Amino acid sequence: MTEQDTAPSAAAADPALRDRLVDSIRELLPHVLKREVAEVTADTELMDALGLSSTTGLELVLELEERLELEISVEELGRDDFGTVGSLADYVAGNLLTEA
Amino acid sequence: MTAVVAVAAYLPEGRVRIEEVAGRLGLSGMQAKIFRRYHKLGEVALDPHGGLADLLRGALRRLDGLRGQEHRVRYVLHARTFPTVVPYPHDPVGELCEEFGLGHAAVFAVGHHACASGLLAVDAAGRLLAADDDRDGLALVLTGEKAFTGEAQLVPETSFFGEGAAACLVSAAGERDRMLAYATDPRGEFDTDDQETALEFQRVYADTLAAAITAAVGRAGLAMDEVGVILPHNVNRVAWHQVCRTLGYPRERVVLDNVATTGHVFCADGFINYLTARDRGLLRQGEPYVMAAAGAGSGATFSAMVFAH
Repeated sequence: MTEQDTAPSAAAADPALRDRLVDSIRELLPHVLKREVAEVTADTELMDALGLSSTTGLELVLELEERLELEISVEELGRDDFGTVGSLADYVAGNLLTEA
Repeated sequence: MTAVVAVAAYLPEGRVRIEEVAGRLGLSGMQAKIFRRYHKLGEVALDPHGGLADLLRGALRRLDGLRGQEHRVRYVLHARTFPTVVPYPHDPVGELCEEFGLGHAAVFAVGHHACASGLLAVDAAGRLLAADDDRDGLALVLTGEKAFTGEAQLVPETSFFGEGAAACLVSAAGERDRMLAYATDPRGEFDTDDQETALEFQRVYADTLAAAITAAVGRAGLAMDEVGVILPHNVNRVAWHQVCRTLGYPRERVVLDNVATTGHVFCADGFINYLTARDRGLLRQGEPYVMAAAGAGSGATFSAMVFAH
């Protein structure tokens, strides 16, 4: 058994999918952060502005999976992907293992 | 030049799913799911009825290279993640030395590099033997600990410890496997409970471990593309993926086979992975390989050692 590089299964997302992911991330953030969160947009910084940690970030991705009944490849998920709500939505849209 | 003459390892048969360990330690289902999905950990080897001596004995019994050479062993080093592994006055390593005909050897522990202490012990063993100027002298490096407290079962947000042991014979000179270089970067500034420092540790982890590997490979007069395989510590897969990205080194050449089935076996991972690599035919005669580990706890240490097989 060896590690193989995994390529994203989906190309850059269509705008509707990205919007849907941004909405879902916005709705899940209070649950994951366990507090109310003020106005959130695609440009909101997850770590710097909201205090998301690497662990709560991963929790957010797995919660997103359950809510949208999607399977997301987390192999290539890196720190940069947690930059903003929008960058995380882009990662998820580009790394779906099931049809959105 | 220090050489590793023989390596053996032992893993108890028992396996426990990480979800079971996580539940016992009070982790949530989501936290366990992150370990399985993201860190790619699956189960850990545990021997609930055995002690430390049973683990180390398992490795020693498999060390065929020791048979008939006991009289040559001058030093026995137990490399430890934790400073204290059994309560006073127990001395399982000393008792095993008597059992295996090594009662004449100087026995001591090597630590304070946490999970990178195994590499420190190999280096120390080679230096001691070289200073003795006795070409026949050998040292025995033992690794392996019991995962019997919460702290010794879980590295928060990072890994689960499993039980197992390794034994390796070191000489001051010899053809296989010759140590070409060793680099270690002890980072005392991480000896704090401060949350910001913990986040900084997470931020620099992959880059600092990659830098230790690059330093060791450079000291050996080599380039990364000449390194056949990397034998990692089994902390988790994703940490090593990040190291590979920093190094520009193909992740399929990092022997991560055992991460999901044994967990992080304290200081023994590199030696266990050595045997996996050997069995898979990944170690080729004369080809350099790297054994690397990062240790955390009362500071952090990032270490890498280059060998020629």
